[in-house]
Amino acid sequence: MSKKLLQVQDLHVSYGAIDAIKGVDLYVNEGEVVTILGANGAGKTTTLRTISGLLKSKGGSIFFDNQDITSTSAHEIVAMGMSHSPEGRRVFATLSVEENLMMGAYTLKKYDKKTLEWIYEILPRLQERKQQLAGTLSGGEQQMLAIGRAIMSKPKLLILDEPSLGLAPVLIKVIFKAIKQISQAGVTVLLVEQNAKAALKLANRGYVLELGKITHEGSSEDLLNSEVIQEAYLGKKK
Amino acid sequence: MSNINFNKNSVMAIGVLLVMGIFPLFVDSAWLAIGTTFLVFAVVAFSQDIILGRAGVFHMGHAMFFGLGAYTTAVLNVHFGWPILATWAPAVLVPLVVALLLAGPIIHLRGDYLLVATIGFNIIFIQVLQNNIFGITGGPNGIFGIDVVRVFGVELFEQTHMYYMAFILLGITLFIMKNLDQSKFGRAMFYINKDDVAAQSMGISIRYYKLYAFALGAGIAGAAGSMFAVQYSAVSPEAFDVISSIMFFTIVLVGGSASLPGVLLGTFVMFVLPEVFREFETARYLVFGLAMILTMILRPRGIWPVKFGNIPAFLKKDVK
Repeated sequence: MSKKLLQVQDLHVSYGAIDAIKGVDLYVNEGEVVTILGANGAGKTTTLRTISGLLKSKGGSIFFDNQDITSTSAHEIVAMGMSHSPEGRRVFATLSVEENLMMGAYTLKKYDKKTLEWIYEILPRLQERKQQLAGTLSGGEQQMLAIGRAIMSKPKLLILDEPSLGLAPVLIKVIFKAIKQISQAGVTVLLVEQNAKAALKLANRGYVLELGKITHEGSSEDLLNSEVIQEAYLGKKK
Repeated sequence: MSNINFNKNSVMAIGVLLVMGIFPLFVDSAWLAIGTTFLVFAVVAFSQDIILGRAGVFHMGHAMFFGLGAYTTAVLNVHFGWPILATWAPAVLVPLVVALLLAGPIIHLRGDYLLVATIGFNIIFIQVLQNNIFGITGGPNGIFGIDVVRVFGVELFEQTHMYYMAFILLGITLFIMKNLDQSKFGRAMFYINKDDVAAQSMGISIRYYKLYAFALGAGIAGAAGSMFAVQYSAVSPEAFDVISSIMFFTIVLVGGSASLPGVLLGTFVMFVLPEVFREFETARYLVFGLAMILTMILRPRGIWPVKFGNIPAFLKKDVK
């Protein structure tokens, strides 16, 4: 039985009077790739942001690496080994690619040269552009940079929020291949995606989030073959 | 000498410092007083810039910390007989601690909400002063008869002495600001200012650094306040009201956030120019208000905006 790296129990989050997350339970085992699927407004980003401490929960608990992090602040969670690549990339436009990457290692005393080289290996485009200003990169390249920056802190758990958002299909392939390589290197990945097919192909397990609740969960194969899922998220008609 | 790297900026900085250094030799006492106040206000403007320009905290109550420093020196000197030199440390520490206590509970507020809260603090501060709390603030009239600085039996009472003390204070402030840019704190500020969510996901504690900025800014403003009290040998509430806070806020925005020459220029434009046109009386404020509006329309990032931020030198050559 593999170890549970992340365990979320009965999570509730609200924006003012509106309940966005109404009792979410999920877990991520060490070494797994887990994806959360769902339509716009289902609460995927809210769930991730609460896990990584950017939002405060209203109820429930979050355990990471056997420690209760429900009310731990975002910067401490990063130092504990969870790295969140936020939605919309958010690279620092006036810094160079390499500076952005080095910045990812903010919580470490010194950035790790090997990690940097490894990132350049799995995302060679970043190496080609390492001295370019991040703001001048294409959307796909910025996404690569956001992922690279997130793994510079050598996390145990990498959280990715919609890495394929607004990208061309060719670039989505590159991104997903990189995520696979990161996972194979031993990093646990929690991935939120609207591109359900690509996400399920990569992931071991998946959850489906609808209006703040988990409606389906299971192994990726089960979800890919489930009729409900096929109809709602994979665009197949009966 | 040849190994010193003279670029355009450092030549200009040395030029400005030289002009300011010999300024007292050429002017009458009225202008010397204006010059001294300019230096003091420049220090306050830089401390406002730490909070507003670098940390990006919309803080519009900075005159309060300036005033706290001034009143700390005044009260300790006039009521408790402390020598001015001994009041300098408390004049920095009192605003610093008050800043931490007041900002602690509200630092998480977003821009506009925080702005209103800090104005509220400033208004309460003025009320406290005017109501002569504990009988030590002197009410609306303030406190008179503040001593001069004495060092080893020498009394520094002349306006020229005041000017050079303020000049040294500005020098220290500039030194701190320059170091700030290159420190871990300065980089963290830059990231938070550019994108707070990304900064947080990198492991930067926003709360810690914003409070740090607040405390540092308040401490420097307190030092300037102490100097201000000594220069006029009196303090009164109206010098530290919300209008003054608005002026310091505007100086940073008009001059250029996070830009050293910008903030200096902003102080000059907002404080010295109105003095130059004193003969036009209140009409000058009409022109002045218009100038503020035009600056924001034509140069929204300030008269002398900071270029790009922290870009490595080798990149600057290609990107102009």
